[in-house]
Amino acid sequence: MRRITGVILAVLLIGGVVAAVVAGRQTGDEGTATKTVRAVIGSEKAAFFADPDVVKALAAKGYTVRAETSGSWAMEELDLGGYDLAFPSSQAPADELAEKYGVREPLPRPFYSPLVVVAHGAAAEVLAANGIATLDRSRGGTLRMGAFLDAARADRTWQQLKGAGEHGELTGTLYIASTDPETSNSGALYLAAASYVANGNRVVASTADVERTAPLMRTLVQVQGAQKSSSDAAFRDFTSGVGDPLVLVYESQVSALLREGGDSVADMTVLYPDTTATSDHTVVPLTEPGRALGDLLTGDPELRRLAVRHGFRPQGATGEFTRATEAHTAFLNQQLTGVRQAPVPTYVVLRDMARRARG
Amino acid sequence: MRRALAGCLAALALLTACTDGGGRDGTDAVPTPGVPGSAEPGTLRVLASSELGDMGPVLDRVREETGVTVRLTPIGTLDAVDLLAEGGTDGKYDAVWLSSNDALRLRPEAAKRVVSETPVMTSPVAIGVRDEALAALGGRPGRVTWSQVERAVAEGRLTYGMTDPARSNSGFATLVSVASALSGAQSALTDADVARATPRLKRFFTGQKLTSGSSGWLAAAYERRGNVDALLNYESVLMGIPGLTVIRPTDGVVTADYPLSTLASTAAGTREDVRRVAEALRGPAVQKEITATTHRRPVLASVPPAPGLDTGRRRELPFPGSKSVADGLLDAYENELRRPSRTVYVLDTSGSMEGDRLRRLKSALTALTGDFRDREEVTLMPFGSEVKRVTTHVVDPADPRPGLDGIRREAGRLGAEGDTAVYTSLEKAYDRLGDRRDAFTSIVLMTDGENTTGADAADFDRFYASLTGHRREIPVFPVLFGDSDRAELTHIAELTGGRLFDAGEGSLDGAFEEIRGYQ
Repeated sequence: MRRITGVILAVLLIGGVVAAVVAGRQTGDEGTATKTVRAVIGSEKAAFFADPDVVKALAAKGYTVRAETSGSWAMEELDLGGYDLAFPSSQAPADELAEKYGVREPLPRPFYSPLVVVAHGAAAEVLAANGIATLDRSRGGTLRMGAFLDAARADRTWQQLKGAGEHGELTGTLYIASTDPETSNSGALYLAAASYVANGNRVVASTADVERTAPLMRTLVQVQGAQKSSSDAAFRDFTSGVGDPLVLVYESQVSALLREGGDSVADMTVLYPDTTATSDHTVVPLTEPGRALGDLLTGDPELRRLAVRHGFRPQGATGEFTRATEAHTAFLNQQLTGVRQAPVPTYVVLRDMARRARG
Repeated sequence: MRRALAGCLAALALLTACTDGGGRDGTDAVPTPGVPGSAEPGTLRVLASSELGDMGPVLDRVREETGVTVRLTPIGTLDAVDLLAEGGTDGKYDAVWLSSNDALRLRPEAAKRVVSETPVMTSPVAIGVRDEALAALGGRPGRVTWSQVERAVAEGRLTYGMTDPARSNSGFATLVSVASALSGAQSALTDADVARATPRLKRFFTGQKLTSGSSGWLAAAYERRGNVDALLNYESVLMGIPGLTVIRPTDGVVTADYPLSTLASTAAGTREDVRRVAEALRGPAVQKEITATTHRRPVLASVPPAPGLDTGRRRELPFPGSKSVADGLLDAYENELRRPSRTVYVLDTSGSMEGDRLRRLKSALTALTGDFRDREEVTLMPFGSEVKRVTTHVVDPADPRPGLDGIRREAGRLGAEGDTAVYTSLEKAYDRLGDRRDAFTSIVLMTDGENTTGADAADFDRFYASLTGHRREIPVFPVLFGDSDRAELTHIAELTGGRLFDAGEGSLDGAFEEIRGYQ
């Protein structure tokens, strides 16, 4: 299995490492020399590191970060010699890297973001009318994963749901559009959350667990046909009005969009799965400066504030995120009330699950 | 059944890339294989869907903002996927910008060459209907389904044109939409869905009266013919054609999302330029300009779609998730569902073809035999001072080999001799095709020199003017080759509603292959 994974990753790797997102321009007025730190980061943080305010805040603490993006699941195959840190968007690949490079735990986890489902208003109402979701806020609610998976298992269609008839676009098999779990973190995390529920609220750990849950995981993926390769693409299609009724994205994407405003937001409803998986942006320090940067991202109030601006939840106290999203409580579940975080299977198990689901 | 697709891919492989989509009116010469420019700092060489030719003003604005010039080389989606899979883009292109990456992801060898993708704008498949034909669809544009279109076709009340799904992404997206809707598939299409829907799909495609390798020529041919009721294409293309009511069927559509994609083979600095261009394309002002000038839908939530783009929701039909389903659907369309083609190849084998030219013609014809469809009727008409020989070969679905062997055998027998009787030979081709309406009929004219004997241009004009009925609708696709006269061939293309293909610089194989999309 590992060999196969290796091949897949080698393939990814050719396309994986990447665009130098140069985040560290030395600000002229700084005067003092900054220390250059080289990082490999997941692509969803590229905008954060490229933000001029982030560059300035880092420079003020004496750092220039040169970040290159890579798929989080492809970092293991990279030669990280010469880098100060890796910054994948998930804990599983981070743990794998830590083990490989003998990095001591705990690893800094500066911020995180849970997976959510965005829906158009009508779709959310139909789900609620059929007991698959509850609408706790005017533009948001909770997706009941158990009920949803039961419907998926039974190949339930929208037409079979009460109230869908009034909405012509709500036809076809009920599914959540997610990204390709073999290449994209959010797609893999979707399987993590769904398999946890399908496995009786236990994390999938053994081959027997994988085999037991495989048919349902396969159904969740196969009905979608071609999947997008990044959560950005999936979310942009949604905001553009493309018709998938339910799309899996990161809360950070929604939160960043709400800050921008926009007409399509009015028809968007945000459903938090009652069992979800979280993108834990985890630093794997490879050098001392790398660890120092990880600690800085975790502890520095200005950098935490900027992370919130990009939609992330800083680790620890929730106050910063809560205050910054005060205007959007109709959409967002600030305290993640009633949302359980499913533990993510190990790297090897998750890869196996993804391969079986797509294949 | 593999044959058609494999052959088409093999032939596509010969195309190094550059197939110009032509002018906005779709009537410019189509040059075959060209070479993209060499790398220049500040310029991105982008392999792009041909309909992106309408992005010129937007890209000018992006250049002002970023200092980066974007140079588009038009290509069909499947050609692009093939080129990527073979590494033909390495070092030649800096980015790829197709209407969708869905087909690309079905080929791992192609997908691995793409690093990241940034969707820029969207446009769904739609039906553009002439006002007079709207009644055939029930008269309520907001309520039309694909099944209604099928019914109107079956009742003889609706005809339409669409692009070739094997060449054009708009054609393939349309095919997926129709197959999904008519099969009643509730999720991503399977082979069983396609098989179940075959009778209905056949009926649906009896209404197709125009086929084309590009959206531009399709629109031009539609206007010229005047007796076709509708076009199936992307909403953005249809909105640009005056007099059409644009309908998104309520039972679902497939949407293009135009991802600007970086390539693994590109240097880091250039990839940074691609990223900056992508960022600029997603800026609010540029998004506003995109939707206003190209009728595509913005991906930025804060920018509303241009007036006239209905925001009512439509189901998004899943794109097939496996290559075998996609290939099977395409194969069924080409060999079973669509109306067959009848084509006459009028081939100059005058004395001047002696040597290398004749060898290239023979090899191009032989290569084409991998690409003829089941049920296709191919007539070869080599000429010099007069038509030398007429042979007709039919590709029998039960046993395609004899027909294809016949074509190869005839190609092998070609010999160069005599003068060049272009017009007399063309007239013979029209006589040969007669007035049957049950197929896509067309004439390919390949000549390496000027007309030197027999009827002249004025004679041919008179001949064409005297044609009646269906024969007036048969287009001639002339191929520029060797020392042929561009003005003479352009005139023939314009007179007959065909299109000029330019093999002057590239290969004859490429030109013949390109024409397949129009047959």
